[in-house]
Amino acid sequence: MTTYDKRSSWQLQLLLLPCLLLIGALVIYPALYSVYLSLTNASLVGVAATHPRFVGPGNYLRLFGDGGFWHSLVVTLWFVLGSAVIGQFLLGLGSALLLRRPLRFKNLINSIILLPNAVPEVVAGYIWISMLAGGEQSTLNRLLGLLGIPSVQWLERFPLVMIIVANTWRGIASAMILMMAGLSAVPPEICEAARIDGASPRQIFRFITLPLIMPTIFLYMLVSTVTTISIFGFIYALTRGGPGNATEIIGIYIYNQSFTAFQLGYGSAVAVVTLVISIAIGLFYVRALKVQV
Amino acid sequence: MFRKTVLLGISVASVLAMGSAQAKTIRIAEHRPARIDALKKVVPEIEKKYNVQIEVIEYPAPEKDYLTKLLTELGAGNAPDIFTAPHGSDVADMVAAGYLAPITKELKAWDGYSQLFDVGKVMATSQDGQIYVLPAMLNVQQLYYRRDILEKAGISTEQPRTWAELLDRAKEIKAKTGAYGLLFPAGVTWGDGAFVEGFRLLLVGTSTPQIVTENGKLNLTGQGIKDVFGFYADLINNDLMPIQPLLEPEPWVAPKYEMFPAGKLVVTTGGSWGYIYDWGAQSKNPIPNVTQVVGTWEVPGKTEGQYVLVDLESPWAVNAKSPDVALAKKVMLELGSVNADVAYAQNLGNIPGRVDAAADPDFQKLTELVPILTALKNGTGTHLNTAEGFSAVAEGVARGTEALLRKQTDAAGAQKILVDYVKEVLGGDAVK
Repeated sequence: MTTYDKRSSWQLQLLLLPCLLLIGALVIYPALYSVYLSLTNASLVGVAATHPRFVGPGNYLRLFGDGGFWHSLVVTLWFVLGSAVIGQFLLGLGSALLLRRPLRFKNLINSIILLPNAVPEVVAGYIWISMLAGGEQSTLNRLLGLLGIPSVQWLERFPLVMIIVANTWRGIASAMILMMAGLSAVPPEICEAARIDGASPRQIFRFITLPLIMPTIFLYMLVSTVTTISIFGFIYALTRGGPGNATEIIGIYIYNQSFTAFQLGYGSAVAVVTLVISIAIGLFYVRALKVQV
Repeated sequence: MFRKTVLLGISVASVLAMGSAQAKTIRIAEHRPARIDALKKVVPEIEKKYNVQIEVIEYPAPEKDYLTKLLTELGAGNAPDIFTAPHGSDVADMVAAGYLAPITKELKAWDGYSQLFDVGKVMATSQDGQIYVLPAMLNVQQLYYRRDILEKAGISTEQPRTWAELLDRAKEIKAKTGAYGLLFPAGVTWGDGAFVEGFRLLLVGTSTPQIVTENGKLNLTGQGIKDVFGFYADLINNDLMPIQPLLEPEPWVAPKYEMFPAGKLVVTTGGSWGYIYDWGAQSKNPIPNVTQVVGTWEVPGKTEGQYVLVDLESPWAVNAKSPDVALAKKVMLELGSVNADVAYAQNLGNIPGRVDAAADPDFQKLTELVPILTALKNGTGTHLNTAEGFSAVAEGVARGTEALLRKQTDAAGAQKILVDYVKEVLGGDAVK
């Protein structure tokens, strides 16, 4: 290595240092501190608030026998599957394909799809409360009332479905942007050649476009799955995990354990397990599907 | 050179002198606009008296969120100097955590101490004999009913004497008016309210009215708790209480602010604040002639007795880690002055914690509250003893009543939910 190369290498490392410090302070340290907390009975109230006791794997052992934890994992699974993997992906891909075509009001449609991303999550939660609230005054029930359909207690009767619908609405734009980026990377001459060879639009999509955007799809799946697992504010504003614990996704479960029951130690244990699950899912996407990310 | 050095020295000395002459800052946490407005009425006077700058920090409004933020900051060591505990039942947990500075000596030396209601002093005294909170305001809870609707329907407005009579009255209301006959707050989204505005009002009238044992443990397996859950179950299973609104994100809004003013709910638990904050002329949901139209009943015991529940209303406390605990204590005691009490009473409808507030001309104008304070002076009111772990009890009650609301369990099942939850949070040792 020449002196110039060595100097360049040092300069590069120096330039990376602020990022590493920030990641260390804001990501690595809190994660490690969570692991430490998860091994204690730390609390926000009572004696354990000032004198937390080391309990070893006690919180983890308790967690595996905690029906509430397993319930929230199942709710989270359906939520991620329904909203991120199916809802947002299909609608995002559909929107991206639609907006590639010459359309009237293309910009308007684009804006409508992007709008949910511009709304803060808590505001979006309250918008959906107004939409889905029980009684005749909610937006959806008023619309259905015009068709003579009686009012439905949407958040009471179909809570999980409703949060899946709401989160799908909120995430279409992100999916669409990624899919548009993927679609724009598909060389048009390949599609053109296939068309000349007599391939139908469906065949072109099935055998050319889809395989070529597969890395983008997996990248989207990776990002959306992990971010959807960690959703909190939107659903908390909308249902607070209720009714009962019907929409208590894992983020809300962690919050409830840490800040409603004030058990920081136990809440941290759940958070650590969730982190491990997220890492496992990430590895599944990156390695098992052999996608270069 | 010498001249420059002298000038520099003078400049530094001037800056230091200015700094030391500047008033110290005391930060006070407060939440909800009505409370903040009341606090701001008395802040200038306190600032002047102690040459202190007071910074009022606005916290989230729902009490559950307020408490969470406050406890998080207390745990982190960066909470304001002065704050309130939302309810008396929250104090023991905060004391055990070491968050609150003891004020026993200062409070007893304070000229307002002799004016404090005895019940306030008792409730403010912790199990270790120390006082950590200023019982500046009291909340007085009982049943509120729509007198106009009962009279119009030919239903008795006499005080019900037992739970059975109360249930019969609720059934009669439902049968004759179609309106819901009775509301006791319940469910998880109401937060502490399920316990402090509902459950405990019934508990004090049972065969096991107190749940704190002599050694500070919680006795949650008593018959009284099961009976209270049973009363809730009767209300819910007979469709006497609105259920759907209690399962929604802001469960208090529909029943207290819409249904009761509209006459679709006829009897509800409530506090003295109902006449001012909930349904008063200046409120968002006024009931015309509220004091004539809305009457009060004491909460009947299961088989005998009538109860008006008294609790500390958002008692003030000093952060044990305040940079200037002594000054914070002085400022806090000013928040227990007659002026401060009356300002809060005007805005919120709670009862001043001191007897001499009754003579204040501004308080005399609050004709809705004067009789309640007089009744307190005459000894009306009972209270629930508290201990460490009451936060968990409140959440456990919320979960138990939620299961009843959703008709997933019966009284025994709800009690089991409560016991299991509290044991899970506090450990088996904390529960008898």
